[in-house]
Amino acid sequence: MKAPAPNLELATSELALVNVNKSFPGVHALKNVSMRVGRGEIVGLIGENGAGKSTLMKILSGVYQPDTGEILIAGKRAVLLDSADANRKGVGMVFQEQSLLTNLTVGENIYLGNEAQFTRFGIVDWRKLYAAAARQLAKVALDVDPRMRAEDLDFASRQMVEIAKALTLEEGAGGHLVILLDEPTSVLERAEVDVLFARVRALRSRASFIFVSHRLDEVLDLSDRIYVMKDGAVVAELAAADADVPRLHHWMVGRSLQAEYYREPLQRPFKDEVVVEAKGLSYGQSYRDVSFKLRAGEILGIAGVIGSGREELTRTLVGFAPHDGGTLTVGGREERFTTPAEAVDRGIGYIPRERRVEGLVLFLPVAANITLADLGSLTRYGIIDTGEERRLATTWVERMNIRTPGIQTLCLNLSGGNQQKVVLAKWLNAKARVLILDHPTRGLDVGAKEEVYELVRAVTSEGVAVVLTSDTLEETIGLSHNVLVMRDGAITHRAEASRGAKPSQVDLIGHMV
Amino acid sequence: MAAFIGTVGLDRLRQWLPLATLVILVALIGALQPVFLQPATLLQLASDTAVLFILATGVTFVIMLGGIDLSIQSMASLASVVVALSISRLGYGAFPLALAVGAVAGLLSGLAHTRLRIPSFIATLAMGGVLFSTALVISGERSITLDTEARGYLTWITGAILGIPNVVLIGLVVLAVAHVLQAHTRFGRYSAAIGAGEPAAYASGVKVNRQKVFAYVLSAGFAALAGIILAGRLASGSPTLAAEMLLPSIAAVVVGGTAITGGVGSIWRTLVGALIISVVRIGMTFLGVNIFAQNIVFGAVLIAAVAITIDRSKIPIVK
Repeated sequence: MKAPAPNLELATSELALVNVNKSFPGVHALKNVSMRVGRGEIVGLIGENGAGKSTLMKILSGVYQPDTGEILIAGKRAVLLDSADANRKGVGMVFQEQSLLTNLTVGENIYLGNEAQFTRFGIVDWRKLYAAAARQLAKVALDVDPRMRAEDLDFASRQMVEIAKALTLEEGAGGHLVILLDEPTSVLERAEVDVLFARVRALRSRASFIFVSHRLDEVLDLSDRIYVMKDGAVVAELAAADADVPRLHHWMVGRSLQAEYYREPLQRPFKDEVVVEAKGLSYGQSYRDVSFKLRAGEILGIAGVIGSGREELTRTLVGFAPHDGGTLTVGGREERFTTPAEAVDRGIGYIPRERRVEGLVLFLPVAANITLADLGSLTRYGIIDTGEERRLATTWVERMNIRTPGIQTLCLNLSGGNQQKVVLAKWLNAKARVLILDHPTRGLDVGAKEEVYELVRAVTSEGVAVVLTSDTLEETIGLSHNVLVMRDGAITHRAEASRGAKPSQVDLIGHMV
Repeated sequence: MAAFIGTVGLDRLRQWLPLATLVILVALIGALQPVFLQPATLLQLASDTAVLFILATGVTFVIMLGGIDLSIQSMASLASVVVALSISRLGYGAFPLALAVGAVAGLLSGLAHTRLRIPSFIATLAMGGVLFSTALVISGERSITLDTEARGYLTWITGAILGIPNVVLIGLVVLAVAHVLQAHTRFGRYSAAIGAGEPAAYASGVKVNRQKVFAYVLSAGFAALAGIILAGRLASGSPTLAAEMLLPSIAAVVVGGTAITGGVGSIWRTLVGALIISVVRIGMTFLGVNIFAQNIVFGAVLIAAVAITIDRSKIPIVK
């Protein structure tokens, strides 16, 4: 490979990626990604789930190594061995899920793993540590006692503590500090977000930032420049001043043949037979008074933001969160599922978002996973008919076009899309009448998504009913016959989404927030 | 891709490592001591392995689904005491009684683990203490020798058919039954699924707790059977009869190639593991290693086997 020509922009950048590629089995996660962060700059990074943002962040923080391409820090080629190494070289990370240990004090958190500088003969000089921690907190203008336990702080303050912690890297990094902010606002209220943004702006003289968020308005608000990722590649680089939400959205989604993408022509009218009916369903503080009817062959999308109660509602339908009010009727019988086994018995199959944890037994073969939910029908006199099992598994692998070396291959070795097809095959083999699709295309590339859409269309045309929650509103609208919108635990809107007459995202968003 | 094939190849190699070890050990000792390869010696080896194999088989079921049973040696000892105390009154009825005690103990361990959500090593460590003390109390802290009349009920253990010792035949029956249970029934499949990925098994409708409780019942039941056979062979019952058998049993399971983290394994592997332990023991006797020093070797072998059988890099956190 030819060495890249000396490039003034890259040389003056705090941090730059040049033509970085990264692949996992079956997924080309990053395709020739280049980006740069200038000194004191705040760079926004957006993209749908699966666009490659997290992989990119993991490469920047030393968790993954690029397959090809390089990382430049202050213009010099750098290798980040692991996250500690990235820290030493001036790349800090503030995580999406807050990473503070809530049972430790603020000061202990800030210097966790770096107590050596305060330690003599194995004894930590706590006074010195807390004095240093207080100085770090002053940098972010957070007025809390470093001896306070992290659990006693509100979320916004915890986020500031995380940034203060990242700022401790300043000293070691020789002035080249870049802080990655991974969805830092996802648990914050609007007013808290404003405070956070003001502090981040004030820190420009100390550090540069990469800001990752789903919230396009926030990215526009905070960033100087914005990179848009889609399907593993950077598809646009815009100055924030030249961008607006619709334009960012266009780049992020970037496809015109929507209807084709979601196989809308295959959307058949559903039948009259009601398979699931909820009347006034409630569960703790999560949702209340939820009523709907789900008919054979129908795809019912549930839209809502985090905390809207839709996650808990789907968990109720599969036996993880038994409802405590109202009635749930499945196939004409009133039910209250206290375990998944009860839901499975009544013909409900769960395609979970945590595919590799709850969807598949990764260390079992494809065949054993396909038959796992319906071993009973393969059992004669207590003995599993393995010949029949092989025959069934082979049939499903062919029917669903599962790309695997064989039916005895461990699911671990399959790509995400093929793993998801195994999960679907499991429930179809168990003759599920209702499928609960919980973010069914998360982490899949475009091709695999389309295959999943096609399969979902195929099973619904055979009369299987589907409840869908999804990462994107677009997917929810594109696939569903009907959409329920939830906010703060209640249904705020019901929209028909018949073929050729899909509601717009804007219509629904108004009822979500 | 090359790395991927490399892993698969390595995994396949790992699978055959225990059997290769066994063959090499037997060949090695046979070369040094040709008498070792004579049928009589090999039958003696098989007889000596039977009890260890039965204990290890029971605990294999628990290890397969990701748990551990530390109460098996106390259970085996208690079973020997129960047999010794009741055989003169109950005759053959002493054996089902000992097995029933085992089943109840396993049921209690299993319920403590699943209902009270106590880690299995704590639940069974505690159960082991309870069983050991029970054996001490009911035996009056002594070894009970069986009289001639009682020994009459023990011929199914001590006898031989066509020159093959009955203990070996019992071991083969256990092998057959346990193999079918593990490899051909829903219980066996569910155990593997739970061991390899409990959340996915649960979400697929597997009644996880029921399978777990059953595994602990099997483990304690097989431990009781091992205790009965031990009582028969030694013609006595004692609260310390099976002492020092826990470590070799778990070592046998793991040396055979069953992953201590669950999900991967089989009864055949446990058989190979138990034979390796026996051969190593005999080898040490040939080499003149002090019998009390043998657990040093088994401890080292256990650590080595765990390190070799699982690719540790796949496990993020070890507790």
